Amino acid sequence: MLSLPVLAQVVVNGVNLGAIYILMALGFTMIFGIMRIVNFAHGAFAMLGGFALYFLLMDAHVPFLLALPLGALLVGAGSLLAERFVLRHLYHNELQGMIATLGLSMVMIYLAAIVFGVSQRSVPAVYSEIFFFGPLVVPMDRLVVLGIAAVTLLLFFLFMRYTKPGLAMRVAAQDLEVAEAQGINAAAHYQAAFFIASSLAALAGGLIGQLYALSPFMGATPLMKSFIVVILGGLGSIPGAALGGLLLGMAESSLTTFFGASTAQLASFGIVMLVLVLRPQGLFGHAERDS
Amino acid sequence: MTARPAMTAAAADNRGSRFSASHMSAVAVIVVMAAWPGAIASSESFLLYVGTLVVLYSVGAMSLHLVFRMGQVSFAHAAFLGIGGYTSALLLTGSGLSWPLAFCASGLVSGLFGLLLGPIVLRLRGVYFVLFTFILCEFAERVFTDWGSLTNGAGGVAGIPAPPAFSSPVSFYYLCLGVAVLCALICRGVLKSDVGEAIDAIRTSESLAESNGVPVFRIKVAIFAISCLLVGFQGALQASFVHYISPASYTFDESLRFVVMNVIGGMNSLWGPVLGSVFIIALPELLRNWVEYQWVLYGVVLVLAMRYLPGGLYELGERASALLRKGGA
Amino acid sequence: MSRQVLVVSGLGKSFGALQAISDLHFHVEDGEIVGLIGPNGAGKTTAINLISGRLKPDTGMVRLEDKVVTGFSTNSLVQRGLVRTFQSTAVYPERSVWSNVLRGAFAEIYKGFWPALVNTGAQKRRRDAAIVHVETILDELGLQDVRDVPAQQLPYGRQKTLGLAIAIASRPRVILLDEPAAGLSAEEVDRVADVIRRINSRGVSVVVVDHNMRFISGLCRRVVVLHHGRELCTGKPAEIAANPQVIEAYLGTVNEPA
Repeated sequence: MLSLPVLAQVVVNGVNLGAIYILMALGFTMIFGIMRIVNFAHGAFAMLGGFALYFLLMDAHVPFLLALPLGALLVGAGSLLAERFVLRHLYHNELQGMIATLGLSMVMIYLAAIVFGVSQRSVPAVYSEIFFFGPLVVPMDRLVVLGIAAVTLLLFFLFMRYTKPGLAMRVAAQDLEVAEAQGINAAAHYQAAFFIASSLAALAGGLIGQLYALSPFMGATPLMKSFIVVILGGLGSIPGAALGGLLLGMAESSLTTFFGASTAQLASFGIVMLVLVLRPQGLFGHAERDS
Repeated sequence: MTARPAMTAAAADNRGSRFSASHMSAVAVIVVMAAWPGAIASSESFLLYVGTLVVLYSVGAMSLHLVFRMGQVSFAHAAFLGIGGYTSALLLTGSGLSWPLAFCASGLVSGLFGLLLGPIVLRLRGVYFVLFTFILCEFAERVFTDWGSLTNGAGGVAGIPAPPAFSSPVSFYYLCLGVAVLCALICRGVLKSDVGEAIDAIRTSESLAESNGVPVFRIKVAIFAISCLLVGFQGALQASFVHYISPASYTFDESLRFVVMNVIGGMNSLWGPVLGSVFIIALPELLRNWVEYQWVLYGVVLVLAMRYLPGGLYELGERASALLRKGGA
Repeated sequence: MSRQVLVVSGLGKSFGALQAISDLHFHVEDGEIVGLIGPNGAGKTTAINLISGRLKPDTGMVRLEDKVVTGFSTNSLVQRGLVRTFQSTAVYPERSVWSNVLRGAFAEIYKGFWPALVNTGAQKRRRDAAIVHVETILDELGLQDVRDVPAQQLPYGRQKTLGLAIAIASRPRVILLDEPAAGLSAEEVDRVADVIRRINSRGVSVVVVDHNMRFISGLCRRVVVLHHGRELCTGKPAEIAANPQVIEAYLGTVNEPA
């Protein structure tokens, strides 16, 4: 059972899952880091991203590689409405902010159920080729997912690392007062951060819709994966989200292959609980400061 | 995350036992709830059903209030509701244990799980606590589903009997009301005691409380266990009310409901979760005419309440009564 | 020779690669006020955290009266008569001065979960005794006029005094004060020094941590100087002030206004 092809398959699947988890978790951790809001609506934005991709492909006949980023950006733009009318008044108000995003997510999910219907659909496979690298079987769509995720993550890290707004967001995430003292316009950066975070989630939603299925309720699982990833990586930490996402993807892929899906789910919960107990600040995070 | 109710020094220091407005409201509420079945007559079984649900959920909401008062928000209450529910359901259908014993066992087992898990969960604070309890809730649902040999998996447990002496809807309602009143008295007793003082100190600052000699961790675990014990009783009652449970009865939505009841009702007072459970149970039922939009409107209400009513319904009531008094004087 | 109420020997603690405290020795005699000084980052607060049970030491021992209490939890140390205060003001902001001080006496009132929960007769008696005690503290520390004022409405200097009142409400044998004069005006510093002397005259032994030399030398007869987590020297304030090593430690890092 433990042959090289099986191992390689585990790695390919794990990296694939990990890439999607990272896309989800980055936005989640960013919103928490900058605005101190546990965004329970993050999964709903992923769901909208899935539907946006579906309609762009099926009704507007936009080519896949264009439809994916376009759908993500549309959802990102739409998310600014939520930022303006719901979240703006609740920044740094952890409890009320969290409940409000829960309400927001209900509104989005059940409106989607009314508009799109509750039946599952799937984004048709655009790439049906299958590659054989020696003993390794890799469907083309997985490679595309991986490529898109890699490009997006690279762009994201370059943006955060080398651009002024990216730097400003990192400063704001670390210390809002310092940021404001340095003349960083918090409101504008909140909007930008929320836009980026929701777009990333929507992109992940598109990829999930492509690989798995599409429904108004599809956001719940990726949302929970984001929780797990940020717990592993430490809340608010961007490199932590990247490492945590990869770790969770690999763990799930190998556990599923060797022990079955149900055991894998239980085991990944178990691992997260263990991590939290042994290292409450996350594997890569710093201890939460005492207030 | 810190749930930090604003409390004036005068109000907080007022621990005297005069017969206050709060007592009068308590008596009024109990009278109204006791008269509920008579007032709606036997024809309106739907309203009796809603009333029973309100009373049932107030038990869990009040128990979670204790955890809120320590400054922690737990999303794991559905898990303990489920532990209580499964304990009594399995004992009643499997071993034929008498109802009162199964009822007691459900609270004790749930409380015991709280006592065992508390020391693990309560090492975490703030958002980590929130996320962990969320995961715990999902974990429990999976265990209920996957441990088929015990729980019958996704199929659930059917045919859960009501207690023989309370088999009519009206008498069962009174049983629930009795448990809820008892639960309210317990919660009130905890909050008014020196343990309540300790809870309040812990919410303000754990390190200061510790340096004043409060055994912070032990008190947190004890309160968490008491809270789990109480919600376990709700689990038993609810299982006998619906006669059927399954993992789907104990999803995250249930945890969310308890949290929302506390937040919407108000976190400064035990009245908060009571008001919250009336509102949160009654609201979707009131929205039944727009059944399609029921959950959308529910979400809208949540968002609006957080924005315009951060202190909850209780605070709204306080403000209104203050206005009335001013107007009357 | 008088009795030693607190003995610290060989205390050490590191955070990762940083050795915050190493091989710290000092003792406090009954009824004494000992100063613990050092430049910023010398490990003063870490030392307090180690002694008061907030942190567990890697090495060494803490003895309170006749009992070794190394690694005990903070609340059990409070029950045994060792109380600490915090650098920033630590009060319950929404509560009145009176109930703040009563909270300080929690260790006197609380002797177990069940008695506290069901409010037994013994519990009531202990609370009544503590309430009487609170009155004497409010009198002695001059807080009677603000007894019903929420702590957050007090000026900063009086919040510090309230912090001290909370600390002594549990009738400690030893209190550890973490920079009780930080952020106060010269006048307020004198007032706090006066309060500390009054507390001391009740028979409470005091360890004061600060980097303000003038404040410390006005208060203590014996001073322990910390530098880079180690004990640099111990002696009378005048000796310390003249010690070239101490001067270098201070001038070499931060120039503290004395």
